[in-house]
Amino acid sequence: MPQLSIAPTSPARDSTNVKDSTSGEPILRLAGVSKRFAQVTALDDVNIDIHRGEFITVIGPSGCGKSTLFNIVAGLEAPDQGSVMHKGATVGAKGLLGQVSFMPQQDLLMPWRNVLDNAIVAIELEGTPRGQARQRALTMLPEFGLKGFERHYPHQLSGGMRQRVALMRTFLFERELMLLDEPFGALDSLTRTMMQRWLLEIWRRHRRTVLFITHDIDEAIFLADRVLVMSARPGKVKLEQRIELPRPRGTELVTSADFVHYKRVLLEALEEESMKSFAPH
Amino acid sequence: MKSLTGMLPYGRLILLLIALGLIWQVSSSMLGVPDYYLPGLDSIFSMLHRHPSPFIAGFVRTASEMLLGLGAGTAFGLCCGVALHRFVMLRQMLLPLLVVSQTVPVIAFGALVVMWFGNSLWAKAVIAFYLTFFTITVNTLAGLAAIDPRRISLLRSFGASPGQILLRLQLPMAGPAIFTGLKLAVALSLSGAVVGEWFGDTTGLGVLLLQSMYNEDTVTLWATILLIALLGSLAFALVGVLERWLLFWQPRS
Repeated sequence: MPQLSIAPTSPARDSTNVKDSTSGEPILRLAGVSKRFAQVTALDDVNIDIHRGEFITVIGPSGCGKSTLFNIVAGLEAPDQGSVMHKGATVGAKGLLGQVSFMPQQDLLMPWRNVLDNAIVAIELEGTPRGQARQRALTMLPEFGLKGFERHYPHQLSGGMRQRVALMRTFLFERELMLLDEPFGALDSLTRTMMQRWLLEIWRRHRRTVLFITHDIDEAIFLADRVLVMSARPGKVKLEQRIELPRPRGTELVTSADFVHYKRVLLEALEEESMKSFAPH
Repeated sequence: MKSLTGMLPYGRLILLLIALGLIWQVSSSMLGVPDYYLPGLDSIFSMLHRHPSPFIAGFVRTASEMLLGLGAGTAFGLCCGVALHRFVMLRQMLLPLLVVSQTVPVIAFGALVVMWFGNSLWAKAVIAFYLTFFTITVNTLAGLAAIDPRRISLLRSFGASPGQILLRLQLPMAGPAIFTGLKLAVALSLSGAVVGEWFGDTTGLGVLLLQSMYNEDTVTLWATILLIALLGSLAFALVGVLERWLLFWQPRS
């Protein structure tokens, strides 16, 4: 197994980041977005601003419409009401397709493509010649802990490695906004912790904007500049919590007083919602 | 990676064939089963050896009819499957019609096809085609319908066009189902070609079957049956090789 490289990081990110998220025009703005499916209101009047370079995590009880939110941002579904603004322009669902890099919960690797060719699926669809695409992917392999595995097929890889191939596919598709839907949900907690630190490192280096769905409160706090807590049906943004923890973040952070404070605030908000989804009436 | 255990099934098959041949030979020569019921393998092979030309010509002819029908049926069936999957209206209108068309036995159409296409190779290929394309259509349709919609969503989010999604995702993903259909189609196209020849022709394995039946020539009859079995097995093996090559990523049992 190759080691994930977690290089020493510079604290440069912090200062720029806080500034970015408070000033300038948002890269994505959801205004009054609602979506219904038959009798169920999946999203109701959702308002979110996402700024360049931000890492935002979304957390909420199951069935709170997180996936619907992602599908709308990815352009896979159109909202019934409200508008989506991307880089300052109002866009319909079709206008968002191909504009954000989307990573679903499952890796959805193609079993007939090896690691290298799975990673380049998205940029190949864009029209990058295969040889050139492979060359780009090859240079990224070590960073994703996949060096030497370029000729392996998905069934020969562990769950963590498959997830890294899927992440690499997402990163290679160079869009400013990345949507990650519980990418580490299926991994054991040790691998997950490693992957979180590694993701932060990659994010720092590639300077992308991330919207990240998770079920895990620790994960939500550990990664985020801002945590959005969603309410149970109908899905709304119930709480927006800025996380003012220093970066780079290490494992020791998880036991710090500040972290625990954030956790208590989020747990409280989340518990209320979970109770509601148990007894909706 | 070919290991010894990987070759084992072939070894077993060959042993089984040899054993069957021995039982056949022993029962016809030593137990005194009359030639009329079961001629010995030795007389069948010596017949093939003495008069090879009608058998070779028949084999080539029937094989061509079969392959033409199978090829065209596969191509048309694939297109049908993709079109019916894509257009729901078309599926609702045409699928019942196709099902009904398959309930009419091919024999009923045979005479008509011969009148349309003459006593030619094409007439038999058309019959083989008619028997083949439906199986391919249905299996393609099933394969396409079974694809996880999230896979399609992912490619759409990357901005893929419907054509790109079809070629890069849907067809490869439906590959195993399509090959299941293709294996069935091999047997169907062979019967189509053989039966098609019964409507009138001068060469072909079907013709030899018919002639030897009228002449009560069991040796020729058995020789023809063995050749038909050989043709079917070869075509089946060919499809198997193609499947292993194209669907190398499929887990094998």
